[in-house]
Amino acid sequence: MSNEPVDVLIIGAGASGAAIAWSLIETKMRILCLEQGNHLSDKDFPSRRDDYELSRYAEFSCDPNVRRLKQDYPINSKDSCITPVNWNGVGGSTMNFLAHWPRMRPSDFRTKTLDGVAEDWPVDYYDLEPFYEINDRNVGVSGLSGNPAYPKYSVPNPPIPIGILGQTLAKGFNKLGWHWWPSDVAILSKDDNGRQKCVNAGTCDLGCAAGAKGGANFTYWPILENAGVELRTNARVSEIQVDKVSGLANGVLYYGADGRLNQQKAEIIIMACNGVGTPRLLLNSKSDLFPEGLANNSGLVGKNLMFHPLTGVAGVFDEPMKGHEGPMACSILSQEFYESDSSRGFIRGYGLHSGRSTTPMTFALGGYGIDNPIPWGDEHREIMDNMYPYLAGLTIVTEDLPEEHNCVTLDNELKDSDGIPAPKITYRVSENTKAMIKHGEERAREVLIAAGAKKILSKNDDNVWWRAGWHQMGTCRMGHDPKKSVVNGWGRSHDVKNLFIVDGSIFVTAGAVNPTSTIQALALYIGDQIKKNIGTLFD
Amino acid sequence: MWSENEKNILNIILDQLIPKNSKRNIPSAGELGIASFIFDAANKNNNLKDDVVFILDWALTKADKISPCLVRKLEKENPNAFVSLLTETYKGYYSRPDIRQKFGLSKKPVHPSGYLVVSESNDYLAQITDTVRARGPIYRDPTGG
Ligand SMILES: Cc1cc2nc3c(=O)[nH]c(=O)nc-3n(C[C@H](O)[C@H](O)[C@H](O)COP(=O)(O)OP(=O)(O)OC[C@H]3O[C@@H](n4cnc5c(N)ncnc54)[C@H](O)[C@@H]3O)c2cc1C
Ligand code: SF4
Repeated sequence: MSNEPVDVLIIGAGASGAAIAWSLIETKMRILCLEQGNHLSDKDFPSRRDDYELSRYAEFSCDPNVRRLKQDYPINSKDSCITPVNWNGVGGSTMNFLAHWPRMRPSDFRTKTLDGVAEDWPVDYYDLEPFYEINDRNVGVSGLSGNPAYPKYSVPNPPIPIGILGQTLAKGFNKLGWHWWPSDVAILSKDDNGRQKCVNAGTCDLGCAAGAKGGANFTYWPILENAGVELRTNARVSEIQVDKVSGLANGVLYYGADGRLNQQKAEIIIMACNGVGTPRLLLNSKSDLFPEGLANNSGLVGKNLMFHPLTGVAGVFDEPMKGHEGPMACSILSQEFYESDSSRGFIRGYGLHSGRSTTPMTFALGGYGIDNPIPWGDEHREIMDNMYPYLAGLTIVTEDLPEEHNCVTLDNELKDSDGIPAPKITYRVSENTKAMIKHGEERAREVLIAAGAKKILSKNDDNVWWRAGWHQMGTCRMGHDPKKSVVNGWGRSHDVKNLFIVDGSIFVTAGAVNPTSTIQALALYIGDQIKKNIGTLFD
Repeated sequence: MWSENEKNILNIILDQLIPKNSKRNIPSAGELGIASFIFDAANKNNNLKDDVVFILDWALTKADKISPCLVRKLEKENPNAFVSLLTETYKGYYSRPDIRQKFGLSKKPVHPSGYLVVSESNDYLAQITDTVRARGPIYRDPTGG
């Protein structure tokens, strides 16, 4: 293994790391990516095994505290009502993500101007629009063009079938005159370039053995490796080093597969470790120049953590809804309650998502990511035989506003297998979000009844889903003002001029949509800015 | 390490957790011998093992009297051990291909074949989205586009 200095060192081979590497290929710079996990092939995915569903609660759980694989770092979530979930390996969390692919909307980038909350982004929808488009093509997005919830754009592939479940719910929305649309998904509806089209298996969280899902492991990494980008797996970065004189980052220390510490020098360092992994690494990179953690003169590294708190409501219908068929996350999406409306008693809004792929096992165990088993005994039989097959549900996915007390810090005791401090999450749901959830639950009931549901099932408590920490944002936010942000308008640290961050931690606000299409569009935008400013990059 | 007697007793408890549906010919958890699955899992997980041992100790004295009422008492008095057993029972039961099939899922692993879901036609999609499109744009655009 060569540890010769490289031009560009990317930390993390997930959604954003892969996208920016792709953008930078044409510069002919020498690019190296260090990834703490390994590279799984589709043969390693469990969905070809008889007992494939068990892996969801073991080595393929979305929760690193359940998986406990060597490459996983533990997360202390005792002071949080939501725990972050992820995948640590090539593809990052797009290995087990569900590929729901909505864009953020123009108003998401201007919450301060429009609604007087949070901060405006230093970029807007139209800055990102060309990059959304490039990325949609690279990833292989399917959907129906013409969604009136967005400025016009076209989707490269026809939609994935919405199925009986989506059709039924759509009728409910239509009856009420509310917006809905077939979901955009990063899933192929047609075979493409060696990747098979979706076969509706419903195991998107288990890697997608068809290769239909647009995980970075299937989309960007094969191209990157062909183009000569070096990918070093089982390489966990513990610290980014800075030159005392220039104040520039000059390399990293990382643990290799053999557990030994190595040094890697680089001209440009790009962090793509996600909204928890990136602040963790910055906070662990303390030096005389940066005693509070690298690039942390603002004190905002790790602060303003945002998730998308969510809950669900389901209806029991007359016909079987075939909820186990089709991609998991998405069939249709309603954005009727997305924009602010002061009469509702909260600011900003939420989406109503119709999920699928509820299997008898996930349902009996309380729902994907919930782990709260349904009743046993005669009641169990009644629920499983007479309700489960007839269920269609809606999840209420809310916008989370940035609050400094919601944060990632370093745990004083808990460590990963290389002895690096684990992240600690401190997080609570705001009153604004609680009001949104309540409003959303009531609206979801109305739609389900309008769609023909005979009975409504909901949780009857205030808890949000525990394992809903799949979207991690805001912990190194971007902005023009170095006192109020960690990176500038194109991802460069205000404090360390050759350090960039491209993952979800740079989000200023969270929107109420799944973030990955925006994360990758932003990474491509930052790549583009690096190329445009290459001559004056460190000024 | 688990005796035949322990297995039988655990299967009796499991019959209470997931009873059978005779009409639809769906067996109970005990009939399927899910106790063996639970013992295998417990051999790999000490916390689960402690819970199973605890529940078996409790049940050994009541073997032929195990009823829904008694199991309800166990649940109330020892909620953590009970949930741990219940969770494992659901996993063991619903991971069986034959049970999956009873609920309309494929008996085979889902890949490579998956499920056939017919795509909606363009006409159908145009018709069902008609009212949504008719309302026009519903987003705020602060930049004016
Ligand atoms: C179960 C689940 C479902 C999801 N569903 C959706 C969805 O439907 N739609 C959507 O938009 N999003 C979804 N997401 C979220 C989506 O996966 C993330 O938004 C996206 O992957 C984030 O990209 P990223 O580049 O910021 O981080 P990741 O993709 O998580 O990549 C980070 C990488 O950095 C590596 N890394 C971290 N620290 C170090 C270190 N110190 N040294 C070396 N390597 C390191 C990690 O191993 C990882 O591979 C889901 C996530 C999960 C877990
Ligand atoms: S439903 Fe489609 S995307 Fe999901 S795992 Fe199956 S083939 Fe892949």
